[in-house]
Amino acid sequence: MFRYIVKRILWLIPILLGVSFIVFTIMYLSPGDPVTMILGEGASEEAYQALRTEMGFDQSFIVQFLNYVRGVVFEFDLGRSYVSNRVVLDEILVRLPNTIRLASWSILFATLIGIPLGVISATRPYSKVDNVVMFISLVGVSMPTFWQALLLIILFTSTLGWLPASGFTSWQQMIMPVFALATSSMGTIARITRSSMMDVLDQDYIRTSEAKGVSDRRVIFQHALRNALIPVVTVIGLQFGALLGGAVLTETIFSINGLGTMMVNAIRTRDTMVVQGGVLFIAFIFTLVNLCVDILYAYIDPRIRSQYD
Amino acid sequence: MIKQKNRLWFFFLAAVLFLAACGSGGDSGNGSGGEAAADDGEPKVLRVANGADPVTFDIQQTNDQATTRIAKQIYDTLIVQTNDLELVPGLATEWEEVEENLYEFKLREDVTFHNGEPFTADDVAFTLKRAVESPTIGHIVDSIDPDSIEVIDDHTIRVGTSDTFGPFLTHLAHPAVGILNEKAVEEAGDDYGVSVVVGTGPFEFEEWVTGTHVTTNRYEDYWGDAPEIDRIEFNTIADPSVRLIELESGAVDIAYDIAPSDIPAVEENSELTLINTPNLGAEYLGLSLHNDTPLRDVKVRQAIAHAVDVEAIIDTVYMGVGDQMSGPINELVFGFNDDLEPIEYDVDKAKDLLAEAGYPDGGFSLSLYVGDNSQERIRVSQVVSEALAEIGITVEVQQMEWGAFLDSAAVGEPDMFLLGWTTVTTDADYGLYPLFHSNSFGEAGNRTFYENERVDELLDAGRYSTDQDQRLEDYREVQEIIHEEVPWVFLQTRENVTGLSNRVHGFEHHPTGSYDLSVVTLDAE
Amino acid sequence: MLLTSKKKINQAEEEMMNVPRGSWAEIWYELKRNRRAMFGLFFILFLTLTAIFADQIAPYGMREQNLSNALQFPNATHWLGTDDLGRDILSRMIYGTRVSLTVGVSAVAVSLITGGILGVVAGYYKGWIDTLIMRFCDILLSIPSILLAIAIVASLGSSLRNLIIAIGISNIPVFARIIRSGVISVKEQEFIEASQALGANDIRIIFKHILPNILSPIIVQSSMGIATAILSAVGLGFIGLGLEASIAEWGTMLNAGRGYIRTHYYLTLYPGLLIMLTVLSFNLLGDGLRDAIDPKMRER
Repeated sequence: MFRYIVKRILWLIPILLGVSFIVFTIMYLSPGDPVTMILGEGASEEAYQALRTEMGFDQSFIVQFLNYVRGVVFEFDLGRSYVSNRVVLDEILVRLPNTIRLASWSILFATLIGIPLGVISATRPYSKVDNVVMFISLVGVSMPTFWQALLLIILFTSTLGWLPASGFTSWQQMIMPVFALATSSMGTIARITRSSMMDVLDQDYIRTSEAKGVSDRRVIFQHALRNALIPVVTVIGLQFGALLGGAVLTETIFSINGLGTMMVNAIRTRDTMVVQGGVLFIAFIFTLVNLCVDILYAYIDPRIRSQYD
Repeated sequence: MIKQKNRLWFFFLAAVLFLAACGSGGDSGNGSGGEAAADDGEPKVLRVANGADPVTFDIQQTNDQATTRIAKQIYDTLIVQTNDLELVPGLATEWEEVEENLYEFKLREDVTFHNGEPFTADDVAFTLKRAVESPTIGHIVDSIDPDSIEVIDDHTIRVGTSDTFGPFLTHLAHPAVGILNEKAVEEAGDDYGVSVVVGTGPFEFEEWVTGTHVTTNRYEDYWGDAPEIDRIEFNTIADPSVRLIELESGAVDIAYDIAPSDIPAVEENSELTLINTPNLGAEYLGLSLHNDTPLRDVKVRQAIAHAVDVEAIIDTVYMGVGDQMSGPINELVFGFNDDLEPIEYDVDKAKDLLAEAGYPDGGFSLSLYVGDNSQERIRVSQVVSEALAEIGITVEVQQMEWGAFLDSAAVGEPDMFLLGWTTVTTDADYGLYPLFHSNSFGEAGNRTFYENERVDELLDAGRYSTDQDQRLEDYREVQEIIHEEVPWVFLQTRENVTGLSNRVHGFEHHPTGSYDLSVVTLDAE
Repeated sequence: MLLTSKKKINQAEEEMMNVPRGSWAEIWYELKRNRRAMFGLFFILFLTLTAIFADQIAPYGMREQNLSNALQFPNATHWLGTDDLGRDILSRMIYGTRVSLTVGVSAVAVSLITGGILGVVAGYYKGWIDTLIMRFCDILLSIPSILLAIAIVASLGSSLRNLIIAIGISNIPVFARIIRSGVISVKEQEFIEASQALGANDIRIIFKHILPNILSPIIVQSSMGIATAILSAVGLGFIGLGLEASIAEWGTMLNAGRGYIRTHYYLTLYPGLLIMLTVLSFNLLGDGLRDAIDPKMRER
């Protein structure tokens, strides 16, 4: 088990290197010269060349990339923003809590609503209730997050005046963003729970229990749900990643100061260092969450564990 | 088996609890600080919605409006430009030109920086020398000859310019030339402007949470009139409609840059006040002479100018904000030529002109580039493209990311482009030289690659003269030529539009868009 | 990364692959009985026809402005109102189906072809090339796809082609994985070994025997993939990275209407509803196809 965990953690290194390389390449190929953008209009040619050299843009692509990686690996230095000259790590750490809170509350909300919905559907397959619940889940999956966010703002801020439309400090400010972001995951989780539950309910031992005359409710909750939840946990892990991505649009609309807004702005201003750092962090969190899910799995399921011992 | 499954439940619960703890932990940690209270009663806090996060409060490393709007409360300049664009004493009490191109400034003696250091001529020398070397704002003070700066005594300093430079004093009133404290800058190193910010202004810097807010508190030892408000919170809210919603809900007292589409909502709201006043900005459609297109023919350019209905653009896209321009600079700028008339919308005339130029039914196509950072300009690009279709010119609109847009316009890639220019120094030199002098091709501002010997000559004369009457005459002629040769289709003047809660009194616009908040008073909530 | 979670998903995929495939007629029969799937199918057909005949159907031109008629609420001449430049919303929504369907289908084609090649190579040859391809997919998957798409569009510039490429690339790993696990499960079956023994070459085996056997999960995933791709495109348009604004695109329409959200709700309401219905239709169809193909579901 220990060896398995170590092995998995070591896998993080090539993954993050790969992520860095891809993002670095995309940003390198982007038009728009960061030096020009920093200097603004009317800068002299000498100032331009001086800054270009200072920032290392006169080096080749590979050298620039290796310098970056060296900084990250040996000094844990993500560099400084081209635009504000602030330390990227600080920029990220200021915003990280907001994004994590948004994604965590959303996943929690999505799970707490999604699983019961899925269970209700699975226990009454092809009934009216099932149809309605599954249709709602699918609508949730199909609704653009930002459009839903706009509708919420129209309703709760402009019309009713109940909730504030920006910021992310008080619980009132958190309701709309969390709800908007959670809807799609909620639908996905409900759908997976349903199909997983139905698979389990189909299995022999459940049928045996039924034959033995154990009451319906007990069968469902004690046997089926426990087994059915295993794939659901995986999906929740994967959904967490999707939520980190979805947070980009949600944060923009609700003016939440998170990694998403930071990165969209940085991509627009060609602030490569900030984009790099942000994507690395998100990739890191995402892979870490999935690592936790996998370890949890390996811990529960002896078959998986035995592969790595 | 069952035991294993119980473990799953345990983990699941643990995860839920962990998330809950994360959430609530972050929640309490982020509570906005109400601790900076005055001892007597409720502190008066002014809450401002700013459209972007500041870049850095090392004001020599940036020249963006979001920063300047805050920095203006923290820093003072030697000379102050009033809301009516008059130059009045700031940190300097008086000044005179002691020799040709050498000025002597007497400085206030009762001023201290926010860190307690006294304000002296050394700080001024430090600030100006550092400013000249700044890649970002160096162009504002590049007329200063750094070797000529001489500290006479603690409160007297001489500054020379390398050439005669007409608008020199106006440039010293630019908020980017706010006076820094040498000791604070040196000691803080890279932290200066981020966590350490020291000025002499009415408010001192308290904290800056990137992307969220900046707070400043009243500086008790301020040399000028003490502000009534105790504290200002600048909240970063990028989305204009959210800024308005927050103003309506009372979450902020002042919202900068109300979007044109939101203006009616503010005007109709009895609890809010809308202020809009012209600023020094001008919007234009650049007609580039760089590429070998029919645009090189002056008649084609004139035809295009007649084909675009500027009034309709102002009414529909800008909701009536702004006036149609008659030339490249607006009337607030020194050197404005008030004899010129706006080019009228006249499709028939446009068609005639095209025919005269040898394109009776148009029949050619032009590219039009627009940056994606302005909803309004994007709309204008669509109106222009329809208007030119009317006279037979096909327009291919390219909507580009802002940085890429500036780059490609600087190298002359687009045939036409939509852009604006703000004559921050209020002098025609800054409003014309970078845009129409052949020295300023590309990056420096002349993105139409317009070249005219007479214009070059007049612009040079205006720049290197201090005879204001002669300068005025030179600039008037430049505007006449440009009006005739239309390297730009002159669109409209820009206006500053701010929404205020009725609690706010005394707030006034400054044409540069950076407002003095020290004079603002607030009613109790 | 995600070794075991991936394994779980693969298991599920493999299960799906292993069930005997019903004939196309059977699938169609099942699908016809599924009312929701049929709704989806019909709506998609409706949208396709709308896109093809937009010029004939739309009451006004896509770019046709009438500045003096700007921001009109829905009325008899403009059924869904006009936008800030006096353009007819309904007409622009009709033209917008072209863009959204084109982007959705083409982006999936990009993901499917690239992901398909990667998946087939990985699943068929296994070994180091499999590891390499799958690790590459893991890397791409750990960047949120919308961020990846934003970065690619920002880098390439906005045009229809670049939009398709950006969204297509960000969904490659999903297709690569599904096709790989399909290939692996089919490859183990005896008839493949038999063909190999008979000396058939790899290309022939792949096209003749493997691909036809994994077609159904690909179809299901494509339908769902189009839904996701349309949502991504609309999201990019919404943050202003879509197409040039005079081209009618639903996301761009929402973005332009956002400033008028309080006073002119219809600018965002109707295009948003249409987006939702479109995405819903592709999802319903995908669901229906999966149920129709999977006989386990049919038994009930």
